[in-house]
Amino acid sequence: MKLIYATMFALALSGCASKGLYDWGGYSAALYNSYKDPATVTDGVQQLQTHIGKLEQGRQKVPPGLYADLGMLQLQAGDKEHAQANFRKERALWPESAGLMDALINNGAMPKAKEVKS
Amino acid sequence: MRAIVLAAALLLTGCATQQAKPDLSAFNAAKPRSILVVPAANKSLDVDAPNYLLTTLTVPLAEKGYYVFPVHTAKTVLEQEGFFDGDQVQKQAPEAMAQLFGADAVLYVTINRWDAQYAILATTVTVDFDYRLVYKDGTELWKANKKMQYTPQNQSSGNPLADLIASAVVAALQRAKPNYLPLAQMANAQVLAGEPTAIPNGPYLPAN
Repeated sequence: MKLIYATMFALALSGCASKGLYDWGGYSAALYNSYKDPATVTDGVQQLQTHIGKLEQGRQKVPPGLYADLGMLQLQAGDKEHAQANFRKERALWPESAGLMDALINNGAMPKAKEVKS
Repeated sequence: MRAIVLAAALLLTGCATQQAKPDLSAFNAAKPRSILVVPAANKSLDVDAPNYLLTTLTVPLAEKGYYVFPVHTAKTVLEQEGFFDGDQVQKQAPEAMAQLFGADAVLYVTINRWDAQYAILATTVTVDFDYRLVYKDGTELWKANKKMQYTPQNQSSGNPLADLIASAVVAALQRAKPNYLPLAQMANAQVLAGEPTAIPNGPYLPAN
């Protein structure tokens, strides 16, 4: 009986979803938690850093947006240096992001470091 | 226990819905590479719904092979520009929105429902979204609606008392803290990757 349920669950999860291009780690959960409880932002940053580090070490492609959103969380926490480094990595890995990343890297006037508004 | 019931509910309500297949000719002609997800317009009573929904759209879009702009970064930039909610964002021209970010296409979502209806032994959780993808020149590429409900009462063990207790346990859990996220994730995954509404594969997903 348990096995049937497990199979059903697996089917429900895999049935309609795609095969999986990327290893997302806890990206969605980190953002969700930071919106739900802004006190968890520090944990989210740590979690994303760890996950990205793991992907880089394993030479796996970092999914779209992870570097940049990590960078934005760092920027909002006042860590401009690491933020910029991550915006550069997003730009290098994903050419589609170039316009936005250049604006973030060069134009300090666009998103200023300030408290998270959510 | 919750997982089992959720799986059962999803199997029952999930892939069965029939919808018309959207016209994808404009989509196939435009071949967008990158998608900007903007904060959703909210018709539900839950003020947190747009933020929570925002965290569930990147994965299914990127897994379809598109570059998805970092949602938290985009949201923050929009706030810097004075746009604090999705209703405001949706009033702007898609062309301007796409240009601001350098995006090929913009995904607009309207939250119609994000609620829980309480009954004695079962709580029905419902999410209902309208999706609309617009190309940077203003052409609508794709639109769809997805509604998902989770009512934990589908699986019978054959023992009426056991069923009753199981329902009561799940209802109590749901009442304490309805969990919309799995439903929202499932809605997004199915509408974007499941037939008949699936969007074509993007450049990072090999053709099927």
